[in-house]
Amino acid sequence: MATFELYRRSTIGMCLTETLDEMVQNGTLSPELAIQVLVQFDKSMTEALETQVKSKVSIKGHLHTYRFCDNVWTFILQDALFKNEDSQENVGRVKIVACDSKLLSQ
Amino acid sequence: MADQGLEGSQPVDLQKHPSGIVPTLQNIVSTVNLDCKLDLKAIALQARNAEYNPKRFAAVIMRIREPKTTALIFASGKMVCTGAKSEGQSKLAARKYARIIQKLGFPAKFKDFKIQNIVGSCDVKFPIRLEGLAYSHGAFSSYEPELFPGLIYRMKQPKIVLLIFVSGKIVLTGAKVRDETYAAFENIYPVLTEFRKNQQ
Repeated sequence: MATFELYRRSTIGMCLTETLDEMVQNGTLSPELAIQVLVQFDKSMTEALETQVKSKVSIKGHLHTYRFCDNVWTFILQDALFKNEDSQENVGRVKIVACDSKLLSQ
Repeated sequence: MADQGLEGSQPVDLQKHPSGIVPTLQNIVSTVNLDCKLDLKAIALQARNAEYNPKRFAAVIMRIREPKTTALIFASGKMVCTGAKSEGQSKLAARKYARIIQKLGFPAKFKDFKIQNIVGSCDVKFPIRLEGLAYSHGAFSSYEPELFPGLIYRMKQPKIVLLIFVSGKIVLTGAKVRDETYAAFENIYPVLTEFRKNQQ
């Protein structure tokens, strides 16, 4: 199954990448294995978000910029309000990158 | 609506608008030739507020906020600008799009700008008997309430299509210059008063 590499830029993805880099540097891990771990991370993130995350968040803000190219939507919001069941938070500037996972199975 | 607000503040020129009603321009469609080949993907990636989905439509769809308009930008360099409320605003918007394309590094020109369509609307503020109108103006009218609730009136001179609704709301489309819209409305207005529906 093909997956997006989108989640590698998340905090958890960055931490994993840093750790793998370190391990490759000091020779405890082969580069091939490190790549394999990252690919597994992509798959696991996609699966976890699909099957284990039930909470919903609504995001509302002023749409400063949008773009749709190569089947990727990019939105830049200003003064956005993130809301979930039990909390909410204002964010000055947000960038949303959204891919269509249906395209991967084609 | 905006037209009602204007009537009070600016006296209507009764020479030009004997009905006392001035149709409000709602949409202007214009075209211009930027006269250079464009790399649409590069434009979609660099410009803001752009959509490019070549599987669905072979043009970049771009929007600006002032004047609030949408442009269709084709690889040939041809561009369509829609949504402006006046001819001047349409041209200003088209120039802004051309400037955006230039800033992305294309040698865009501004050739053969042309207003292609003007849509206006107004409200005569009385109900209209569409069946009667359709019957007496059969050559110009098409009224099929099962298909569309409005009467479609294809005026020959000027060549304007009017959508006439029971409510008295009128849409005029097909004009290249606003005076055609105004002339078409002044032509139809006496007909509308003739087929005014008496309130029960």
